Amino acid sequence: MAKKDSEAALEKLETLGKNMIAEVMRGSSPEFETAVRSRGNINYDESFGYLRLGEKKETRTFVNVGQARKFMQTVAVASKCKKFLEEKSHTSIRGLFYQLKYSLGDDVEEELFTEQSESNPLIEDLEVALTLKREDLNLNTDRKGVVAGEMTVVDRFGGDETKIDCAKQGRSGWAIPSDVDNGMEFEKVDANYVLVVEKDALWQRLNEDKFWKKEGCILITPKGQASRGCRRLIKKLSQKKLPVYVFTDCDAWGWYIYWAIKTGSMNLAYLADDIATPSARFVGVTMQDIVDYDFLGKLTINAKEVDLKRAQEMMDYPWIARHKEWVNELKTVLKTKKKLEQDALQGPRLSFVGEYLREKIKAKKFLP
Amino acid sequence: MVCFMASADTIFKEFREHSVAEFFRKNRQMLGFAGKTRSLTTIVHEYVTNSLDACEEGGILPDISVKIESANNGDHCIVRVEDNGPGIPPKLVGKALGMMLAGTKFHRYMQQRGQQGIGASGCTMFAQITTGKPVHIRTGTGTGKVYECDLAVDLKTNRPLPANEKTVDGDFKGLIVEGEFGEVKYDKGEYGVFEYIKRTALANPHAQISFSGPDGDSAIFPRASSVVPQKGQEVLPHPLGITTHELIDMAHHSEDRKLTSFLTNNFARVSAAKIDELRTVMPNFDIDKKPAALTWPEAEEMTKAFQQMKWIAPSTDALRPIGKEQIEKALVNILNPEFMVVGDRKPKVFRGGVPFMVEAAVAYGGNAGRRTAEGAVGGSIIRYANRAPLLFDAGGCAISEACNSIDWNRYDMRDFDVMPITIFVNFVSVHVPYTGAGKQAISDEEEILDEIKRSVMECCRDVQLHLRGKARVGEREAKKKAIMRYVEQLARDLADLSGKGSAEQIQKKLVALVEGKYQKHIEEASLEEIAGEAAAVEHAANGENGNGEE
Repeated sequence: MAKKDSEAALEKLETLGKNMIAEVMRGSSPEFETAVRSRGNINYDESFGYLRLGEKKETRTFVNVGQARKFMQTVAVASKCKKFLEEKSHTSIRGLFYQLKYSLGDDVEEELFTEQSESNPLIEDLEVALTLKREDLNLNTDRKGVVAGEMTVVDRFGGDETKIDCAKQGRSGWAIPSDVDNGMEFEKVDANYVLVVEKDALWQRLNEDKFWKKEGCILITPKGQASRGCRRLIKKLSQKKLPVYVFTDCDAWGWYIYWAIKTGSMNLAYLADDIATPSARFVGVTMQDIVDYDFLGKLTINAKEVDLKRAQEMMDYPWIARHKEWVNELKTVLKTKKKLEQDALQGPRLSFVGEYLREKIKAKKFLP
Repeated sequence: MVCFMASADTIFKEFREHSVAEFFRKNRQMLGFAGKTRSLTTIVHEYVTNSLDACEEGGILPDISVKIESANNGDHCIVRVEDNGPGIPPKLVGKALGMMLAGTKFHRYMQQRGQQGIGASGCTMFAQITTGKPVHIRTGTGTGKVYECDLAVDLKTNRPLPANEKTVDGDFKGLIVEGEFGEVKYDKGEYGVFEYIKRTALANPHAQISFSGPDGDSAIFPRASSVVPQKGQEVLPHPLGITTHELIDMAHHSEDRKLTSFLTNNFARVSAAKIDELRTVMPNFDIDKKPAALTWPEAEEMTKAFQQMKWIAPSTDALRPIGKEQIEKALVNILNPEFMVVGDRKPKVFRGGVPFMVEAAVAYGGNAGRRTAEGAVGGSIIRYANRAPLLFDAGGCAISEACNSIDWNRYDMRDFDVMPITIFVNFVSVHVPYTGAGKQAISDEEEILDEIKRSVMECCRDVQLHLRGKARVGEREAKKKAIMRYVEQLARDLADLSGKGSAEQIQKKLVALVEGKYQKHIEEASLEEIAGEAAAVEHAANGENGNGEE
């Protein structure tokens, strides 16, 4: 399967090149078409339930003085990625940049790439144009996020095949790789749901409590904002019909983490089909918790300016405004000017976090 | 052959009371000997002009060589001018080169170069009073004999003083004058001899002029045309073109018995019927009196009367322009411009009675424009009166004034001061209205100013079209170059990416593609296309805005 994936990417790259050469041989300027990724072409798609790219296309052509350099650079990136795939080697987007930072010739005072800010958007252009992810092009992203639970993964990497049992990773859990598709096989997933916990501290708490074992869930922490690999893993698990519950702070950052997992983000709207999980639900913490759990009333802290501003903005997003539960939640924050951290649940006793989650999930006390 | 400036007769009146030398010393400024550089240019001008006029009269293609050497530890210059003209018969050499002549020829209305300066005899005197040395003459008229002598002017009597005369056998035909001069300086600037000769060559494409300077610098301005200009034609002045002073002068030199016959014999368009008309305009004027008795008030009254009458315009037949084709040849020959326009306008008349014509040309690129010692290029305006270069007194000249009043912006020549442009203006007339005795500037009469301005602007319009086209081509060349630098890299990557075709082959195709697009554009450049392209670029720029979001 791994072989097949990289072959598909190779084929797409080759086809791109062949089509361009055909244009050149026909005597016309070679062109490259990709979707526009600017805000103006990003819409919330109600039927999909997440942010997607619109129909606007952008074509760049070589024989045009305003586009020639960018066109050449795009092909250079594609050609280099093809080489990575053929060599079965991986690098980061910064590594790619350094591979392409060289002079165009002895008598030309110009580099193929001068800044990484030039090559980064071209990678995204290729991802969109070829409908694949940079991970498919052997470009790694930063790993972030840890997982534990009844799940077995087969990792074919560097010529080796390693079986990873996520239930046997001790206190540290399994670090989520940047690419969970190519060379990765989820051999066995035996769980009732997926729980995404914003903070690593809380994940460690729940891991120590054997929460995932008791509950039969896959316990994930993205350690803050979820990385591409982490979001992709969540999406894949959701596609295995597992419900996804997200557990974050009740503040601007926490909300953002939730909505990025659920509806995707502006920056990665072009990947939304692969990484947005619209079925995700918000389990806590919420303003309603203060009412439901007395002790929490004393553990709130003052909301910061950014939290209030964010809350105000969120009420205007169509994908949030349609949920009156969220509107009420945000209104409460704006009224009380208070926020609540998930850590506060350790107030009465450390293991209360697990009790709280179990109770809420059982009662399906979620925000949509 | 030797001609004199307007005030020559004044000079000779003075001769009676003062020695020539004394007068000369006092009035050197007005004779063109003002400043060391200008003095040397004046000397060369006198000799070269004489040679050109002599060749013209003899129907000979001029071959002139000018040599300047440094002498007396750099204080003096030895000037040697040689031509292949008809030469001067030995008995006339003294008169031509060693004596200031006065005579009726002064009043002849004929287009000629030698209307300015003081003549070759003046140079002889200048040599005497600055170095004490005579000039050396060598001439042959094609008789197989060559005459040589040293020549000076008797400064008291204004008679030629030949010495060391000898006649030898030889085939030489032409004239060689060599003199040593003091109070002169050889300068390579825009007032110097070199610039003078270059400009002379420009206005005389039928002449070949070679030059060698004291610094070992030399140049040959080869002949560009083998057409000898037509001889000047003597014409009678038109009543409307005459001033009171000129009228009196002519009348006093006239041998006619009556003013009536003087007028009909010496002026154009004056018929018996016009004399009758004149009588009715000036009923109290004795028009039958002797011309020699004409007084200033009477002459004044008469010129005023002329103004009140209707006259047929003067004939323009006597005008001898260089000619469009000849100017083109000369410009190509000497400036080798990238582009040039030579105007083509009809003769006009100023003051109602003096025919004139403006020949204008604009040359761009190549060696056009002036160059400073540091190599900086700038626009230059070169002025001529009847083919003779006007190097000095640019400030007060109608040609400069007319050019300076042109709005260069209108012709895409905003940067005239740093552009490789030469504006060439030859003022052609049987009577050039100089502003002063130096004869280096043309009077700014309204008709003249207007005509010069029109002529130059007419040329500038075409130059503008050329500049625009050039700018377009330049833009496209730059675009082509910008794209070409990416071809090699792209070809390599396309070959690698597709895994098919060789980089060399793809590169060839890409080069042809880019060449094709921009070549076509360069050839077919038109305004519509530019507008279209501008829109396309804008469109592309807008398209790109949708990209950067990260």
